[in-house]
Order: sequence, then structure tokens, then C-alpha cells
Amino acid sequence: MATPYYIPESKVPLPPKGAEVIDTVCDYCVVACGYKVYRWPVIAASGGPSKEENAFGVDFPVDPLGPWVAPNQHNIVLHNGQPHHVVIIPDKDIKSVNLNGDSSLRGGCIAQKCYNPQTPTRDRLKTPLLRMYGTLMPVSWDFALDIAAEVGRYVIEKHGPLAYGVKMYSYQFIENTYAITKFALRHINTANFTFHDTPSDVTSTPGFRDAGFDNFGPSYEDWRDAETLFICGTDPYETKTILFTQWIMPGIQRGQKTIFLLPRRTAGVAYAEKNGGMWIDVTPGTDLVVMMAIARVIVENDWQDKEWIAKFVNNKWESNSGFGQGTRNTPWQWRTTWGLFQTDGFEDWKKWLLAQPEFEVEKAAAIAQIDPQKIRTAAEWMAKPRPDGTRPKTSLMIEKGGYWSNNTGNTNALAALGIICGAGGRPGQVVARAGGHQRGGLRGGKYPRNKSPMKVPGRRRRALDTDTWLLAGHTRFAHAIGCTWIQSMAGSQAIAKRFDELVVANPHQIRSFDKQEIIDTLKARADSGGMVVINQDIYLVDPIGNRYADIVFPAATWGEDTFMRANGERRLRLYNRFYDPPGVAKPDWWIVAQLAKRMGFDGFDWRDTNEVAEEAARFSRGSRKDFFMIKVAAQREGKTLHQKLAEFGTDGIQGPVFMRDDGTLVGTKRLHDTTRELPETGPAGANVFNKKLMRFNSQTGKCNLQKAPWSLFSDYWEWMKPKGDELWITSGRINERWQSGFDDRRRPYVVQRWPENWVEIHPEDAAARGIESGDYVMLYSDRIPSVKETLLGVYADDYRFSGLMKNGYIELSKAAVTAVAIVTPAIKKGVLYMDFLHTQQPANALEGRVVDWISGNYNYKIGVGRIKKVGASPYKNSFRSMSFAPRDIA
Amino acid sequence: MTTVYRNPGLDLERGTAGGEHAPCAMSRRHFLLTSGATTFTTMVVLNAGTALAQKAPARVAVFERKFIARLSELEVDVPVDFTYPDEGAYAESMLVKLGVPAGGGIGPDRDVVAFNYTCTHQGGPLQETYRGATKSLGPCPLHLSTYDLTRHGILISGQAYQSLPQVLLELEGDEIYAVGIFGLIFGRYDNLKG
Repeated sequence: MATPYYIPESKVPLPPKGAEVIDTVCDYCVVACGYKVYRWPVIAASGGPSKEENAFGVDFPVDPLGPWVAPNQHNIVLHNGQPHHVVIIPDKDIKSVNLNGDSSLRGGCIAQKCYNPQTPTRDRLKTPLLRMYGTLMPVSWDFALDIAAEVGRYVIEKHGPLAYGVKMYSYQFIENTYAITKFALRHINTANFTFHDTPSDVTSTPGFRDAGFDNFGPSYEDWRDAETLFICGTDPYETKTILFTQWIMPGIQRGQKTIFLLPRRTAGVAYAEKNGGMWIDVTPGTDLVVMMAIARVIVENDWQDKEWIAKFVNNKWESNSGFGQGTRNTPWQWRTTWGLFQTDGFEDWKKWLLAQPEFEVEKAAAIAQIDPQKIRTAAEWMAKPRPDGTRPKTSLMIEKGGYWSNNTGNTNALAALGIICGAGGRPGQVVARAGGHQRGGLRGGKYPRNKSPMKVPGRRRRALDTDTWLLAGHTRFAHAIGCTWIQSMAGSQAIAKRFDELVVANPHQIRSFDKQEIIDTLKARADSGGMVVINQDIYLVDPIGNRYADIVFPAATWGEDTFMRANGERRLRLYNRFYDPPGVAKPDWWIVAQLAKRMGFDGFDWRDTNEVAEEAARFSRGSRKDFFMIKVAAQREGKTLHQKLAEFGTDGIQGPVFMRDDGTLVGTKRLHDTTRELPETGPAGANVFNKKLMRFNSQTGKCNLQKAPWSLFSDYWEWMKPKGDELWITSGRINERWQSGFDDRRRPYVVQRWPENWVEIHPEDAAARGIESGDYVMLYSDRIPSVKETLLGVYADDYRFSGLMKNGYIELSKAAVTAVAIVTPAIKKGVLYMDFLHTQQPANALEGRVVDWISGNYNYKIGVGRIKKVGASPYKNSFRSMSFAPRDIA
Repeated sequence: MTTVYRNPGLDLERGTAGGEHAPCAMSRRHFLLTSGATTFTTMVVLNAGTALAQKAPARVAVFERKFIARLSELEVDVPVDFTYPDEGAYAESMLVKLGVPAGGGIGPDRDVVAFNYTCTHQGGPLQETYRGATKSLGPCPLHLSTYDLTRHGILISGQAYQSLPQVLLELEGDEIYAVGIFGLIFGRYDNLKG
């Protein structure tokens, strides 16, 4: 871990003329800015300050926005076994994404990510590890792989595929996700499978899916070109910086009215407010009533976009069209069958909307604890026609603060509000997620939902809740790939306790040097009801790797192999290898291929990452990041897929990618583009030109205008709502830190800024508890709800929180985390806000482990608990580390 | 012998400096490492000579000692502009009496600090952005970074790759001198080669 006492450098080597220049893209947030790596051997002379002497061709000092090199943008790596300087700075010539070569702090300092034993990255995993006699010891690849594969195969044969659980990242490059899902879904065919951020393999935005919206339809320019932009549950400045600084900020400068719906005011919110925007300081979990109240004001004033609705909203017949499909063609058909969501079109929806008392402005404002005038103002900005009859171009964005507060309800509400504003299918008028991770998922197999023992009332199976399944003791072999698993899930301390019981407390522990005895020990553990854990990662993660894994495989990552990935506007780029992985670390596709071959699966004989990509290409067909035609073009031109994609540089090409008649490739600016004009002929051949390109993802290609009932969620919200001196506890990202901090914990400057987890508390709440900025506080609760059984729903309310409670399926437990207090009026009174994923002080411990009863996602952002002072932290009265200044200075 | 109020931390270094380490050189190099919340007012002979210059890295060894302002003439929250370490690009800096103790602050109240004015993200100008209420510089007009002047110019919120470069100060009687810089100034590859 890095020391928090950071001493800045005062000079930096410059890349010389002739330094190699390699294209890459940032590894972190969904925006995915283009970068250039300048590489030169340490034995060569570095560059000089005149333009003749450096690789940038500019004189130093450089101009503002110029190719300056901060000391944190330089590192020394091994390339082909030889030490090389690397300078990694945002691409100053890029034509898209990070215009002007802009960057965030996260990506800006990505050179610090590279393994260098002289920096805190020195603890990268370098060899496979096997836990023998209680200690993780280095072993060879063959030794570790033979054991893992033999035990894994045994567990599948003896206990069935559902005993083999796979928990993986959804994003860490197309080649890896393809290979892992091919292994887990196509070959093992387990339903005990999910991604890093959800207990079940389900969509993040059920409401979008039902309405017909793709999560990532827009181009970044649409967020700029909106005249009114409604943002639910995120400040993009904090979490996807360049989307704000290069796209939304220029929009605001041109007069965009930006509305933020979230309980916390940060720099982007402050900037918008200062420039005519609005902050709706919503109480956690109540976004739905605010959005529906805005919708109600719109329809009461008859401001809805009538032309759009007439043309692009399904009527009753259309909703039911197809082979019994329409809106019912969803993974949760059972609910729509009962008419909870489905409508007969706009008039029917309007009737429902007006009949809900909680959507009256004053009542909604009382629930959300906001100024009711803000609801009316939002409605005017979003939908009120101008005197000349033209309408404001309105776009709507949602991210985790919104869709992880009331997953189904908020996504339904936002989709419906967007549709009546005429948003969703035109330039500057879009509805989408802002995005979290980059889009690097590609499935090499289909999730076997019918194997899931979980069934909702009605006919449908439901994707397995892997956490509940594990807690119930059914997972005998847990395979975790590139995620913390435990701290990233809700009620995380209860999950950790179960790992302790199933893994550490099990009597079958490796106390042998003999491979067969080791295998037999782990088999005996699985047979005895315990669990074997294997973990692939770049660092030893605590506790999944450090405390629980029997075998740890060292993964090679960004910059250490060549990969493909798309961003939040579906832009596909090549992430080039530019240095050697540490030790014998290998990319995840290679690791699962070795396991798969040993387990007897075929089709894992790839020689390099391009071969994986070429095999994966056809599985992308028809998807938002369809790159199949890039492969077709590559083959025609005698190139590899990676070589062909590299030609597009840091600007890449937006999926889906099509081939014109002349063989050239063309990308797709936006999905659902109803204004797109097609040429007379084409696209033809192997191109897949499907409905979502110009219409929406429904049977008819029109949107479904759906109900968003508050009552389906309010039982949980009312139960969670703070009682006595409790406060809401919500969480999210902080700008300077990415995810679990796996890289940031090893960046001395970021550690100096954020040495540990913290909690924002309103001055009145703080004063009432004697808490000051810099105090250590304890956040705790004795009523963390947790679902304790794998469920078979029979009656309508079996899955609802009140139904679960009534039937005894909810268990209450205690949890506590410490943090450093930051007293600030930028957080709403009655609400606490923490960084969501410090592995040592995990905020999710205080979130209810109860899945959204419609979708199966956790509603992570509406925890509750108490807070008390523990004493002063070292940061309170020293000047070296942290800052307690407000983050919303405008 | 002259009375010099230095940035805090000297006490620790005097205590640890053996024969080989000259306290004055260490004080600059380990400025951030050793500055704490407690005020140290230490009498030190300003003896930066050739032997010390050899031991200390170039970044601190050869800065010009430049008169900036008189302590008695400073008003709380009213910045004084100056250039440092030279007259070249991005040398514009500010000195301010914060009215509250600060990391690297000098004077009896440890509240006088100085910083470079150029945002360490992409070179935006921070002139005219000082806020007395938050003791901060910014938001930068380019991409909104803000800096906490009580804490060595650490980033409050924003995108900069490092803290705002802090100008190391010395107080001699009533006279405040700039004597060094911590952190690379935007646009430069070496602070002393403007």
C-alpha cells in the first residue's frame, strides 16, 4: 500500500524524437478516452525541451491543453525484457471522446498503473499461488491448473453444474469475457453465474428493456445537443468526467438546462446550477415519485409530445402483437401478464398516472422531501412548448444512484417520462444510461435460465441469485475472476461470514505436498458441504483472494496483452500491448482456456488474443457492438481483426459496424435513430441491420409506455426508511478514485487525497451527534435485511418484500463500518454518503441484501443505519492528507 | 545570525540529522513529509552552501531567494501576486494570509502560504479564483479543478494530476521570501527551465 505522505517530483523525462508511439485507450470509466503511449529504452537519451528534441514536436513550456507530461504520467516498465521509459498522456490529436486531449485524474495518471517494482504496484501477482499449510505459496502454472481443473470437474460431476459458481467482471475486454463465458455458460452450462455488480445475471435497467431502449444508444454529442438534460442518480463530472467536461459542459455553455436528481451536490451539479440548471435534492429511493410527478404536470398541462407519441408509442393492439409477445416478451413476463406495468397506450397510461395520489406535486414533494416548485420547473423545462410551438429537445440519463435505488421502478419511470417528452430516437433527444464500466462484455454462451431453481410466480424461471445460493451452501466451487465479489455485494459482511464458514472453518485444508492428496483434500471439502475457492486477479484481493482462495491465478491486464473494447457510445477500439506482464502472469482468456482443456472441453486452443477476438466476432452480430464486419474486412484484406481495428486508432469505430458495397466500413452514430436516412441500396451481405438501428427494441419497433407503480416498492422503502436517530446511508464513486481502488490504493497521490473511506454528513445531523470533519465515525445497524432462502414463487406477493417478510424469508443481521467524517451541506439532511467500495471499509455492508423483486438486482443505494463518533482521525488536525473543503465550489 | 521562520518540520529533522545530513537541505526536500499541524518556530542559521547544494536534488538546490511581501502588510484573504521562480511562462504565483493555520504556512499564525497559479491539469489560469470562505483556488475555468490551500494545495475536486505547486517561503523579520517550489509547474519539464 502506498504511503499517504506523497512528495511530488519536480522534473520529468520527455520522450525523445523517434520514441515509439502506441495507441491505447484508458482502462477505467465508460467514457474511454484515447491515449498515446510514448516508449523509449532507458539506455537511450530522453528528449529535450525544443520541438526538434522531443516526440511531441513542441517547445516547452507547452501551451495550455498542450502535451505536458506530469510526473505521474511517466513510468518505467519492461518491454521485451528491457527497461523502457513510458510516458502516457491523453491523445492530443483525437477527433472524438476526449476532445482536445482532455483527461480525468484517473486516466490522466494511468502510467502509474503499470507494474514497476519500485512503486506500490510491486505487489502485483506474479505467479500462481496455492494455499498450503494456511499460506499462499508460489507454484507453477501446471501444478495449480491441474489441481483446479481436477477439483472443478469433480464438483460438476458429483454435485452438478450449479455447484460450480462463476463470478466475473462484465467488462474487462471482449476477448476475456468471451472466453470466460464460453467456459462457464457454453461448456459448464451453470446457472450459478453472474457479473461483478449483481447477484443475478439480469439487465441493469429492466424499465428500459420493457420500453424498448438500448442502454447505450446515444452518441456523446447527443448529451451536448440536448436543450434540457435530466440526469438521475449521477454527477457525470465525478464519475465519467470527460462526458461532462467535453460534452455536457459545452452544452451548458450553449444554454442547456441541466437537471440533477440526486441527494448530493458535487462540482458538476454546482456548475450546472450556477449556469441556470437545477438540483433536485431527492431523498434516496424516491426518484420514482418525483419523475412521475413531473410527468403528471406535463400531461395536466397537455405538454406531452403528441406527434411523437402518435407515431412511436404502442397502442393496445400493438402492445400485445407478435406471438403473444409485445411487452410480455421479457424475462419477467409474469408481472406484465398481471397488468402491473403494461398499458394500452398513452391514454390508458395517462389515466393510471392521474389516478395515483402520490404523484400529485405536493404529495410527491413531501415523500421526496423537496421543494414542490422544482417539480413544476422541471416539467416546464422538459416539455413545455415554446410560444412558436417548437419543443425543447430533452434527453434523459440514468445511472446507479437512480437505477440501484429502485431498479425496476426508477427505470420504468424514467423511460416513461422520456417517451412523453419525445425523447429516445432523435439527435439531442435520447434516453440512456450514462454508464459505469466500459463495454467489454461478449457472451460465448447462453445463460441457462431454465436450470435456475428460482422461479417467480407464474411460469418464468428467474436467473439464479448467486449470493443467496452460496449462503444456502449450494456453491461448492467458487470461481471469482477480477472482482471483489464480497464487498461489492449488498450486506457484504454477512456474505463474508458465510465464506468463513464454508472455506476457512471447513476441516479439509491442504496440509500436503502431494498433488493427489491436495486434490483429494479439496474434493473432500466440497463433498463435506464446504466450498473451494479459486481466484483470478491482478492483485491479491482481500478477502476473496487473501483469506479465502485456495488457488490464485495471476492475471495480465491492460497494456500487457492486446484487447478490444467498446465505450459508452459503442465506440470500438484496440487496446495495445506495450509492456511485459509481471512474472508469469497471463491474460484471463489464457487461464480459462488452460482450465477448460484440462476439464475436457474443446475449442480452447487459441494461440493469441487475436484468435479469441476473431472467434468471438460472430457472437457480436446484431448487438450494439457488432464488429463482425471488421473481421470480414480484415480477412478480405489479408489482415487480422486486431490489425484492422488498429487502423481506426484512438477514434475507433462505433458499433454496430457495417460494410458498404465498396468494402469500406461505416459505424453507427446512434441507435434508435428515427431520423436516419438510408441509401438506396445496402447494407447487404453479412451485415445485420436490425430494428433497433432506426426503431426500438419491441415487437413493433415502437416504445412501450409503461406504468411505474410506487406501491410495488414502497413496502421496502417504508421499512428501510430511517427510524429514530437512523439516517439513510447511500454511496457511490468519488472522482479521484476508480472502483475498489485496486490501482488507486497504489498511487501515492490518490492515497494522500483519500487515505481511507469517508462519509459526508449534513452539518445539522453532525451537530446533533457531536461529529466534526475529520472525526472517525462508526456507521452501524442492527437491521440489515437479507434473503435467506432460494425461492420458488407461487403466489403473487411471494417475492415482494412484505411477502418475504411475512413468510419468514428475511433475516436481520448487524453490520458496521468505520469512516472519516466530512461535514458538508452538499449532502442532503438525513442522508449519509460514502465511497461505495473501499475493500477495508465497505459501505455495502450496510445495504439491504434484498434483490429488487422484479428484476433481481440489489438496490444498493438505499441503506440505513446510525452513526456515532469514535474519536479524532489522524487527518483531522494534520495538513498532509485528505481535504475537508466542499466539493461543490462553483 | 538571523531569525528565520521556516516552514514547519525542521524540528524533526534537526533531531534526526546526523553528521551526514545537513538540516537545511533536508528541510526543503522533505517539506511535505514533515510538515504537521503543530507550529514550530525554529531558529536556524541559513547556511545553504556548496556542500549542501551537492547533497540536495537540483529542484531545491538552486532556487532563487526572492523577496515577495512584508508580513505586516498582508490582509487576511487578500492574495498578493508575484512571479516565481523566474519571469518565464507559468511563473505567476500568489501569496495569501489565510487566517487559519495551513500546511507549509509561515508566520506566527502559520497561515501565510504561496502557490503557483496554473492548474496542474491542463494549464488553466487560476488567477481571480481565490475563495476566502473555503481557502481554495479554483474552479479552474477549463475543467473545474479546485485546490485546498490549507493542505499543501491538494486537489479538492477535479482532474489535476498532482497538487498545485506550493512555493516554499521563509520569513526573515517582517520580510517574506520565496525560496523553492514543490511540485512541477504545468507546462514545464523542469521547474528551473521555464
